[in-house]
Amino acid sequence: MVRGDDDNARFANVVLPHLKDAYALARWITGNRADAEDVVQDACLRAFRAIRSFANGSARAWVLTIVRNTAYTWIGKNRPAALVAVEDIEAVEIARAIPGDPNAETPETALIAQTDTARLEAAISGLPIPFRETLILRDVQGLDYREIAEVTGVPIGTVMSRLARGRSRLIATIGRKES
Amino acid sequence: MTRSMIPEDPRLLVHAYVDGELDPANALAVEKRMAADPALAAECERVEALQRLVRERLPREAPPPGLLARIEASVELPRPRAQPSWRALAASIAVTAVLASGSTWLALAPEMTDPVRDGVVAAHIRSLMAPHPIDVASSDRHTVKPWFNGRVAEAPRVVDLAKEEFPLVGGRLDVIGQTPVPTLVYRHRQHLISLMAVPASDRANSAPVLRMVGGYNMLRWTEDGVFYWAISDIGTADLDKFVQLFRTSSPDQ
Repeated sequence: MVRGDDDNARFANVVLPHLKDAYALARWITGNRADAEDVVQDACLRAFRAIRSFANGSARAWVLTIVRNTAYTWIGKNRPAALVAVEDIEAVEIARAIPGDPNAETPETALIAQTDTARLEAAISGLPIPFRETLILRDVQGLDYREIAEVTGVPIGTVMSRLARGRSRLIATIGRKES
Repeated sequence: MTRSMIPEDPRLLVHAYVDGELDPANALAVEKRMAADPALAAECERVEALQRLVRERLPREAPPPGLLARIEASVELPRPRAQPSWRALAASIAVTAVLASGSTWLALAPEMTDPVRDGVVAAHIRSLMAPHPIDVASSDRHTVKPWFNGRVAEAPRVVDLAKEEFPLVGGRLDVIGQTPVPTLVYRHRQHLISLMAVPASDRANSAPVLRMVGGYNMLRWTEDGVFYWAISDIGTADLDKFVQLFRTSSPDQ
């Protein structure tokens, strides 16, 4: 297949500016740096092959969608258990129609503010993947609900409930007394 | 959000409220419910505290240094990375235009021959890829504006829009064509907005015109001899709001 300079230029303009966000998302989904690098590299190759299909809209959301899907493929191949467990958790919580754990402690705001970096990172890493990726896309990368729905391929209502569940779990975890 | 997207669960609404996803009427309704329900108000405070925590304590890790090179190699991008191709494009078009002696060809393809626009896009993209998108980092317009003195012919107009959720992040110098141009950088949520002020004393005032180039939204307009370009990956409505605020806010507030 012949690829013109146009494709290279488009790739450099559309994909490369979002490398930092792409790497961050891949790291939070896969859980480690080496895997994130592989995922981003693979995702970039996919993005390059599909570069002509990118028309309008947010380049960042387009790139993050590809990274996210690549990361899921990677997890499906290397850690399939992580995905299965997550679907069960979500099904149970949706059946109960309650965001988070209703019996969870609801810590004071001051306690949340005192949380240190290591504890926060551990708490986010402990979230099931759909909650984690939604939280990262919103609270770290600043996407709006519509963009998150596009990237994660779910309706906006699901984005909202995942965000609420993810945040509630996070608040409960960091509010718990250190053991 | 449209009406059909508004969930029943008041706790979900609080999250959407904190995230600025509700229209004014629904935001007001949530504020009223929170005033009447301490549990909802507490939820709102916790969510805000969590967002602050994530913003301030969670490290933003840069990709490892070799990653960009490996990606470029895997898609066979020319190295060292080609200058943004607008340069070559603009040059070749200029030659074509001269050979075709102007009129007809240019009239047929007016949109392709805007080196300023392409330069603005390239400068914005370059800034996003650089380790630091700004030369002077400050949210204080009294710091940013003087920084431009002596670097460009005229320091740009700088306004403070932090209250309207468009905080000033800083400024930088871009080169558009061969002209050093002052660029202000504002932020909306996590998105950066570059606002270039290209000197154009001979241009008449013109209203903002929207364009989308390479996935970025751009608004350009002329005011008081300055050709302004606002570019970002935020939505058109937000960019429009930003430009309106910038144009209507007084620098002396």
